[in-house]
Amino acid sequence: MSLEPRDETDHRAWMQERDLSPIEEGYLYGLIYLDKRLRIVDYLELMEDMYYKINLQMPKSHTEQYNLDNKFWYWYPLYSLGFFSIIAYIVAAVTGGILGFYYSPSTAEHPEYTYVAYAHVAQTIMIDLNFGSFLRSLHRWSAQIMTAAVFLHMLRVYFTGAYKEPRELNWLLGIVLISLTMVFGYTGYLLPWSQLSYWAGQIGVEMALSIPLIGEWTAQLVFGGFTLGEPTIQRMYILHVFILPFVVTALIAIHVGIVWMQGIAEPH
Amino acid sequence: MTERDHTEGVRTDGGEAQTDGGETDGGAGLPANVPPDDQTPTWHDRKARTQGLSRLTYEYFERARYEDQVLRQESDYVERDVLAFPTWPHETIRNLAITSFFLGMMFFVSAALPPHLPDPADPANTPPVILPDWYLYWSFGLLHLDPINPNLAILGGDKLVSDRVYGVLANLVVVGFIAMVPFLNKGSARRPVEEPFWGALGVAGVVFAITIAIVPIQNIVAEFIDIMTINLLFALSFILPVVAFFIAYAVLKTMQEGYMYELNKRYYRLRPPR
Ligand code: HEM
Repeated sequence: MSLEPRDETDHRAWMQERDLSPIEEGYLYGLIYLDKRLRIVDYLELMEDMYYKINLQMPKSHTEQYNLDNKFWYWYPLYSLGFFSIIAYIVAAVTGGILGFYYSPSTAEHPEYTYVAYAHVAQTIMIDLNFGSFLRSLHRWSAQIMTAAVFLHMLRVYFTGAYKEPRELNWLLGIVLISLTMVFGYTGYLLPWSQLSYWAGQIGVEMALSIPLIGEWTAQLVFGGFTLGEPTIQRMYILHVFILPFVVTALIAIHVGIVWMQGIAEPH
Repeated sequence: MTERDHTEGVRTDGGEAQTDGGETDGGAGLPANVPPDDQTPTWHDRKARTQGLSRLTYEYFERARYEDQVLRQESDYVERDVLAFPTWPHETIRNLAITSFFLGMMFFVSAALPPHLPDPADPANTPPVILPDWYLYWSFGLLHLDPINPNLAILGGDKLVSDRVYGVLANLVVVGFIAMVPFLNKGSARRPVEEPFWGALGVAGVVFAITIAIVPIQNIVAEFIDIMTINLLFALSFILPVVAFFIAYAVLKTMQEGYMYELNKRYYRLRPPR
């Protein structure tokens, strides 16, 4: 009265009667072990199903149909700008992650450097830390280069008409991405709490205040008040190292996922 | 084999009670092809079971599947994953090669040109030039449009909106327009020569991004160049993009004449622009 395993589902016996290499055997053991417990075959099947549904069989491309692929598309190197934005973004993320260990977002007084935040950049990172100056340099440059690459990528998409159907939504997502990239840069610009940071922050507060109706609320939310200080730098820090990295990474993943599904728009 | 299993399975639930969960035929082997799950309802079944919005959804799905089917049966369809260059490996390998070069450049530049760190913040001392990072110059420039903020006679010469609101609005308008481009310019054209207007508009936009960036520092630029006045600079930042537009338009139109001839023969006659 129990559920006896039947011969045809005795996977061990099945494995024995086959001539398997150790790698194959180990792989199957792992697969069967997991499948017994988690029934992953269902999920693999689901994914395979999804793969075939997404990658539908498509018609001949324009280049194939009109035999244009023998022409060298001289803008082609510019098609790597989006990918290059990602590379610069990764470099900025890695260097930023390391810089985070040596920085402290505080406008508290510092005897030598006026502000604690400034002291951390000017002394801890740029003087005390081995390769700290290079690290900061790399972080700055990768951020600048990412912004430049994103901007040029947008121009490439514009001038190759790659935003047209069916890629309009990715263009809109791109607008969000370029805006967030600039916000990323802006929030980072304020962190050293230097003279430039402070006055750039001042402009920000004034812009926020000038928004009709919700201006003061926005200034409170984003800058922590109408004058700059400790709440400002902490908000900028949270935005820069916590909120934006997650949001931007997720959006880039979606952006590239859509490109993956739709393919790169061909010139024709 | 499959056939026999099936009929036996059906018969058992009428005959002797079989509690071990199915047919026991000794198991000489698995059926050649196990369907994932023969209980999975078809779109048709699901449609029949539902109503309202979900029914509409299934009805549409059925249509979409049918459309795929029809397209697939057309003779010039080929087996391929996507309608484009494949992202992998085509695009990715090429990108890796180029970007590893740029990565090296990035390290080199960082080592050679470390960034400057200005003095610590001093709220009591406004610096002569306040600037954000370079990529926000255009936006900063748009905040300085007060000379063209219209004032209304009925308001006694007062401005409709304050200069600052006007600047923020200008930012929204520019970004909003860029976001709308795919919905304004449709069709299948890709190369700028195919659409001189949009090509020229893009050139004008790039030029405007540069000229508007100069507006916040026009007093400094005016000092350096003798013949420049602030007013002239301000006017130029709007005139130059227009000039660029017409030059780009003329160039693209001229190119179109010669360039499109070849393309027309191969492509345009077969697939006219929508
Ligand atoms: C963080 C910023 C961005 C990243 C990391 C990124 C990444 C990419 C990548 C890797 C591609 C593949 C093709 C290529 O590299 O050229 C791509 C394509 C595309 N991007 Fe972006 N992008 C960003 C911003 C933007 C912006 C600002 C826009 C436009 C407003 C945009 C619109 C598009 C469109 C429409 C495509 C499809 C182009 C085609 O199929 O040829 N992206 N993006």
